[in-house]
Amino acid sequence: MPPRSLPPFDEKHRRLLEACFRREADPTAPIPGDDVDLIETGILDSMGWVSFLRAIETASGAGDLGANLHEQSASFAVLLTALRHANSAAATAGRSYSSPVLAHSSAGVVVASAASAVGSRIISSGEVDRAYGMPVGKLRSRAGIESLAYVAENENELTLAATAAQDALHSACCGAQQLDWIIATSETHHDYPSLSAQLHSRLLVRENCGALDVGGACLGLLNAFVVAQSLIASGQAQAVAVVSADVHSRTLTPGRVAGEFGGLFGDGASAFILRGVPRNDSSEGYLLGEFLFGCAGQYASSIQVSDSKDGALFVRFDGEALSRAAITRMDKVVAAVELRSGIPRSSVGGFATHQPNPRLVALLAKQCGVSPDTFPPVARNAGNLGSSTCGAALHAALQNAAKLPRGNRRPIFLASLGPGLLFGGGWLTPHENGK
Amino acid sequence: MTKLLITEITRMGPAFCVIGLQREKENIQSIRPIPTFANGWPHFPFHRGDILECALAPFSGTKPHVEDRVSTRGFEKSSTVPESETVTYLRKAEMAQSLPNLFDCSIHENKKGSGLFAMPHEAKRSICGCETQNLRLELCANELRATLALPSGEALRDLPVVDRDWREFIEAALSPGRGANRAARLDRFLNSQFHYKIMSCPHHFIRLGLTRPFHDLCWLMLDTLFPLPRPEWLEEF
Repeated sequence: MPPRSLPPFDEKHRRLLEACFRREADPTAPIPGDDVDLIETGILDSMGWVSFLRAIETASGAGDLGANLHEQSASFAVLLTALRHANSAAATAGRSYSSPVLAHSSAGVVVASAASAVGSRIISSGEVDRAYGMPVGKLRSRAGIESLAYVAENENELTLAATAAQDALHSACCGAQQLDWIIATSETHHDYPSLSAQLHSRLLVRENCGALDVGGACLGLLNAFVVAQSLIASGQAQAVAVVSADVHSRTLTPGRVAGEFGGLFGDGASAFILRGVPRNDSSEGYLLGEFLFGCAGQYASSIQVSDSKDGALFVRFDGEALSRAAITRMDKVVAAVELRSGIPRSSVGGFATHQPNPRLVALLAKQCGVSPDTFPPVARNAGNLGSSTCGAALHAALQNAAKLPRGNRRPIFLASLGPGLLFGGGWLTPHENGK
Repeated sequence: MTKLLITEITRMGPAFCVIGLQREKENIQSIRPIPTFANGWPHFPFHRGDILECALAPFSGTKPHVEDRVSTRGFEKSSTVPESETVTYLRKAEMAQSLPNLFDCSIHENKKGSGLFAMPHEAKRSICGCETQNLRLELCANELRATLALPSGEALRDLPVVDRDWREFIEAALSPGRGANRAARLDRFLNSQFHYKIMSCPHHFIRLGLTRPFHDLCWLMLDTLFPLPRPEWLEEF
């Protein structure tokens, strides 16, 4: 019996290769020998070879198979070896291409990088007061807003989100094709294709990178984080982009909504690259802790927004009730996060929370008994950015932490709210070596 | 004599395919000079931006390569325009914002795998320029492929890159004399600096082309990518 060029290590991979080959070549084509070079022998041309590789990548889940085959022959033997390596590398990282399992060997999910962007037109709050027909100075004196960031004509949710995402990818030294999922959230983008789908095309991620939109309005970022964390922990993904983008200035306009409501909102985006980290990994970043969520339905009527048949916007906004509810609930969320994490609020380096307006942020800091300086000022200069407020605040908190020596960095708390009244919180801790 | 501003020099097997712009009053159109004996030039010592004088005769080539003209004598270089100016002229020639407008026909996805193609009898031309919202080059096994996003938001994946200068740049980057981990270093370059060098360039521009009919299909390819690669970039990775 002639010696085989490869041990029969994985019949499943072989079946997969044969099925993909038959799709590309011809259903009746004989399966070539393991060492036959498919291009040199003319069995496949270069288009067919790449097409064959892409089919294998999609079927196996080994998304970067083709990128690792430089200077190798176009043979089944090379592909079988590459698939075996890809599978063992995935297993080491705590996932399996073929059967997702819990990532017991993973130390957790790290926020590898963050970025944010705001609309390029910075408008003073006095100008916004005038546009809404309010007394000049009202937004500043009542809400503490000094300016608002509005999009320019050539900007929208997609452009802001793409800017933030590309910056985050660059900071993480992560190629777009390394992403396994894009998880997007927005309270203003209601078009189709959805924001995640548009980002998928704009960022040119792999075709078999998933794209998912999650809701929750101002709580959307935390919802997106927990979905990303679950995907990574379950072994379904290794790198995930979480992106938020909100453009309020085209929806909440003078004449459509009252200035006391519409005047609070600006336009912005945030993006984060999340990765699974193996134990003993020494890379920089912050580890995601646990999340908690809930819904305090008793406050559901304090803010309601819906479209009406004539194209107008129906808004119910009980500012006083909502403010009281927001402060109370966020204080409770911070207390719950403190309890669950075992991290006293006094040792927290930054609070990346939703910021309905700067005045409420100051009240929340007072209620929580922490310094207002630990709340990165987002709403004061850009306005309430919806789901991106928490993201922009987290980006700023991470930037502040990065200025400190590695051992001096402190935990970050997350807390946010959404209409309903949805609430959620969580925490991040500095990723110390191997811990 | 016809004056052609050379805009495309692409690899076509062992030969080169060449396209230039011809001005007729206010109209600027693409012209593909071909030798009398084949579709490509075995040797083409000129560069993008060169203005060449040549004698062209009509050629009743097969659709969709309606730009073909037979070159009845050699080329004579008369001058050169800078890269940015070449792109200015390209923006005045055949342009499209979306997939169906590229070749004025439906574009089909390879049902079996990757790649996009047009039906030869449907396509109205074989070359078209476009702006891109994003562009990525990658090495898939030993093949250079481009993935790009059109202004319409449509993404085109796994287009073969046939641009002579970019192919030569990639080959130089992978030459054995450049030390270890060449493919990984090139991959990092294509994923990081490349994006900023190319997308932020004011005269970033691409032209997409159709292959000659192959098994009755014309496949899309990336013919030209501006800016052209610079040799000094090789020192950066």
